[in-house]
Amino acid sequence: MSPQRRFFAEVLRARSLAQAAELVADADREACFVAGATALQLEWIRSKPAGRRLVDVTRLRELAGVSETATGGIRIGAATRLAALERDTMLRHRQPLLIQAIATIAAPGVRELATIGGNIATRTGCLIPPLLAQAALLEIFEMGQLITLPLRAWLQRSADANRLLVAVILRPMPAHRRVAYRKVGLRWGFTPSVVGAAGVLALDADGRIGEACMAVGGGITPPHCLDRAVTMLRGQQVTAVDWHALRQRLYVEIAAPGDHRYSAHYRNLAAANALVTELGDTAALDAICPVRPVKHFTPAAAPPPTQIEVSRHELPDRWRLRPDIKDKVLGRFTYLTDHRRPGMLVARILRADLAHARIISIDTSRAEAMPGVAAVVTASDIKGRNGYGIVLQDQPALCADKVRCIGDPVAAVAADDDATARAALTAIRVAYAPLPVVDDMEAALGPDAMAVHDGGNLQRELHFARGNVNDAWSRCAAIVEDDYVTPRQLHGFMETEGGYVVPGADGSLTVAVGGQHGVRDRMQLARILAMPEEKIRVITSPIGGGFGGKDELTVQAPLALLALKSGRPVRIHLDRHESVCSGRKRNPMRIHMRTGCDANGRLIAQAVDLLMDCGAYASLSPSVLETALEHACGPYEIANVRTRGRLAYTNNGLCGAFRGFGANQMTFAVESQIARLADRLGIDPIAMRRINLRKPSTPGYLSQKVAPTERLAEMLDAAEASDLWHQPRGLSADNRSVIGVGMALCHQGNGLGSILPDSGAAHLGLSPAGRITAAYGLDEMGQGLLAIIQASVAAAVGCDRDDVEPITGDTARAPDSGSTSASRGTYVVWKGADLAGPELSRKLREAAAAVLNRPVATLMVAPGGIREARANSDELLISFGELAAQLAPEALPRATCIFDYPKADYRAGNARFIFAFGATLARVAVDRATGQVRVLELDQHSAAGPVLDPASYVGQMEGGSVQGLGFTLTEDVRVEGGRVVTDNFDSYMMPSIADAPDRMRVFAMEDLDDEHGPRGIGELGIGSATPAIAAAIADATGHWPTVTPIPPEATLTEMMRSEQTS
Amino acid sequence: MNDTAAAAFDAVRFRLNGVERTLDVADIADVHLIDLVRDRFGLMAAKESCGIGRCGSCLMLVNGRAVNGCLMMAWQLDGGDVVTPEGLAALPEGRAVQAALTAEVSFQCGYCAAGFTLALTALFMRDPNADAASIRAALSGNLCRCTGYASILRGAALAQTELARRRAVAAHQSYEFASEETKHADRAG
Repeated sequence: MSPQRRFFAEVLRARSLAQAAELVADADREACFVAGATALQLEWIRSKPAGRRLVDVTRLRELAGVSETATGGIRIGAATRLAALERDTMLRHRQPLLIQAIATIAAPGVRELATIGGNIATRTGCLIPPLLAQAALLEIFEMGQLITLPLRAWLQRSADANRLLVAVILRPMPAHRRVAYRKVGLRWGFTPSVVGAAGVLALDADGRIGEACMAVGGGITPPHCLDRAVTMLRGQQVTAVDWHALRQRLYVEIAAPGDHRYSAHYRNLAAANALVTELGDTAALDAICPVRPVKHFTPAAAPPPTQIEVSRHELPDRWRLRPDIKDKVLGRFTYLTDHRRPGMLVARILRADLAHARIISIDTSRAEAMPGVAAVVTASDIKGRNGYGIVLQDQPALCADKVRCIGDPVAAVAADDDATARAALTAIRVAYAPLPVVDDMEAALGPDAMAVHDGGNLQRELHFARGNVNDAWSRCAAIVEDDYVTPRQLHGFMETEGGYVVPGADGSLTVAVGGQHGVRDRMQLARILAMPEEKIRVITSPIGGGFGGKDELTVQAPLALLALKSGRPVRIHLDRHESVCSGRKRNPMRIHMRTGCDANGRLIAQAVDLLMDCGAYASLSPSVLETALEHACGPYEIANVRTRGRLAYTNNGLCGAFRGFGANQMTFAVESQIARLADRLGIDPIAMRRINLRKPSTPGYLSQKVAPTERLAEMLDAAEASDLWHQPRGLSADNRSVIGVGMALCHQGNGLGSILPDSGAAHLGLSPAGRITAAYGLDEMGQGLLAIIQASVAAAVGCDRDDVEPITGDTARAPDSGSTSASRGTYVVWKGADLAGPELSRKLREAAAAVLNRPVATLMVAPGGIREARANSDELLISFGELAAQLAPEALPRATCIFDYPKADYRAGNARFIFAFGATLARVAVDRATGQVRVLELDQHSAAGPVLDPASYVGQMEGGSVQGLGFTLTEDVRVEGGRVVTDNFDSYMMPSIADAPDRMRVFAMEDLDDEHGPRGIGELGIGSATPAIAAAIADATGHWPTVTPIPPEATLTEMMRSEQTS
Repeated sequence: MNDTAAAAFDAVRFRLNGVERTLDVADIADVHLIDLVRDRFGLMAAKESCGIGRCGSCLMLVNGRAVNGCLMMAWQLDGGDVVTPEGLAALPEGRAVQAALTAEVSFQCGYCAAGFTLALTALFMRDPNADAASIRAALSGNLCRCTGYASILRGAALAQTELARRRAVAAHQSYEFASEETKHADRAG
């Protein structure tokens, strides 16, 4: 499964066309021309057979530069970099269509390398449609001579590696013209092509269409010209074109294929619409995509609740820098995967390439015998229990008798270097007996399904009922029933899984791999390795992004086994392909929801049937199921409820924890249902929410008692008062899109729940170096834990934030504070500081009093040290450093605490006690030609208690919003037959900067008026982004999306339906 | 075979953060620029995150342009000038961008930070007055999973403001300097 890295044997630099051709011909099929080599490298990575020889043609003068031809055209050398073309003044002036097209290819850094010839030579490049539309010519060197032929003719010839593309020749653009270029992509920036279309219509002085060409291509669409449609246009007055008829003609003529993401119908339609709208502008748009009249909901003007906008601009006095930001920006920050030391081995993992199979045998003898290989481990090296998992231990550390998904680890190798380790993997022989693959969660629960685990595929089934749903339906004035489908989202942390393990001479082991609960990782490792926990030190921070994807063990066990067996330090860092194929994802869900209300909009009945893909092993999926169901009524009181949740084992890779943890998916369904009911009844969706809102005394979903604080009414007020409702809606200023605004509420449970052990701890102290140390066994994954610790401890002790030195993510240096998940970290930090801070403050004053020989009562802790309590100046009597220097190590003040996370007193199910509250508003533009959605503005209102660190708060809210935006619009790990198809960032579409909203604002209501302190906001940002965007799309188009990522095809189809009915 | 000999090139010569380097082509024939700087030179600021030119974590300046270190072969460097993120502080635009991104706390996990810093530096070296659309376009090859990009755009705007201020100060100083020169010239005359 790991691609081989050795690509080719030699690089030669050609000095003439003839020599280049000879060098390639000489080596036959094992040689190729190379210029930018960007596309070629992608082919190597995709394990396409590599050539033996590369012939560099970038130094050939015939292939270089841009020049004017004798006939006023432009000749572009094939090895000219795309970025150089973008900068070329003559081209910018004379060939705007080409420049426009180049800007849609890859990204600036890639365009500095990639060449125009390379784009054309692939035959799928995005430049081909615009070049065809301009009837471009190519210069080719073949059989020892230069020939010139039309690009169109060249495309019809078969590919031949011996022909060298030398130059592209563009004729002058017609003086009077209409031009079109549009690349429809998978997202808005740096995107693969769904389909590309281009057209050039030459006009005479009277506006009559003369010569014309239209073409499509890009991605999987073979480039082709659209001659029949052109015939229809020739000789016509451009102002008199029947754009609707042209669109129909183009739709029939365009022959794009379909794939799992976009049907042929959609590609043909989008390309036809794009061409027509680019050529005909507003007149064409009105002809092909008339705007359906939509009644936009606008709330009456309401006063906003008291809230602050969280930003550096609005809160300059509270804005502080997190302690790690400078080193991160300067590139000096060391991640666990950056550690190197002499003698450190490199590990690689052999992973199953079958989704479901019995292991017959594993033969590692050849790999073990290879020079440079220090250790090979398999399940037989596991002395302890070969099973792990946070909820239940159904996952082998290394597979012994069966593999249950592609990417399941079977063996691991440690070698002197990466190349040797990879080579050794290929020398391991594993014999499998394939089993039927269970690749569908529905089918997995069928009677004939192959069992992924011995107990069958129904990993868990949960039921809950309150009131009598069956009787309630008859009392409903309106019922909305639908299936909501949500994706297998990739965490997409930028730092993939990895780290290092160092064996100690005393039989100890240091495991430094990104994680979210070091003590639990240690317990799981001790169980696998049959080692006492005290012998294992687990370091889990810092982490280059987690989002839940590093909560469970990742590569720790094989790495530890290799270190123990070899007796040497070992490191590993998964490449992206391996990470995507073997890592955990968000559980795909299908939520069937039936919701009914009376004529006043009062919710009466809610029935939910949730089916969830567990993947091959349980990990935290059972808890995700529980959490999803716990949010089945959202923030509303509903008297009659019935829910069922089922979790199905499949061979579809791994699933588990992911920010939102099931709640955001359920919120999408619940918030859409209530808004659709309001729609159905013709009542104000905000008013309808208001009459159904939970009240401070309302029990939780499982009827458990919850913390009395509710800020839902305030969040609803904030949504109602939002100025987004008064921004322009309907047809956009440029006529290209329709704009809508939507809102949704969020009510996110915090903490692990009532059944699971959930405690926190903090160790505060004065270090010998005079720092206020604050040790928490929590992890800094990027969320701003260190800043939260500094802020909380400084406030509780009385010192400055910069006096505080956080110690995190290390079982040897920090106590067990529980997991960094479930939005619990902020509370644990705050509570730990609240409990231990005053004690440390007192001990600091007592120590200073003894040293200074002054009464304790006259002293206070201040930034930097201790000062006179009543003095007007803030001059220090003694700094922390001076104080520490005066004290024996054992006399240094310290304070510790252990406490329970706030919990519901409910044991019949896992129930939360404290919640965070939010409202999301989105303003979106839906493209009339393609149905694609762009989020223009996204506002988050939140009530999660005091904002401890504004930068972290706004960062988590904005980041969560955009991760939610990706979930809603573009992200889904496609798995076919158990195999991940979208295995890297060229096919898996996380939002790029072009997809991010033009503007985001984050508001906070800080007053919660209870003793539970700040809530976590890690999951609040993603909590209701999806239903807010969905509601905005409905506001723009009248169509309620139910499948995420929302297929543009569905939206476009709905918009076109209005075309037929209007 | 003579042709092969004629076409062979043995050594790759380039500058790395201001230092001249020469490498044997045979030794690095299939080594990517990102692996070269991390594994051979121990410069760890640039990261490899996707390995296929899609995330920008490995950006470096090559001849003043931001390019993906994972998509460039080491042999393609011949004659080039490479600046890794470690070398940005030597450039005025680099320092301004670093200061602004720090002040705005533009990053969270920070794994993408060096790449964004480099892309913005390259942009402002070429076009200090880039408009919002140009800034987004210049960053379109960089993925960040933590921030949602807004904080990075705020950092970019702050860097631009700071660079403009410095240019204004420099222009003022050179004006004053010129005025002094004129005065001296007058006296001399």
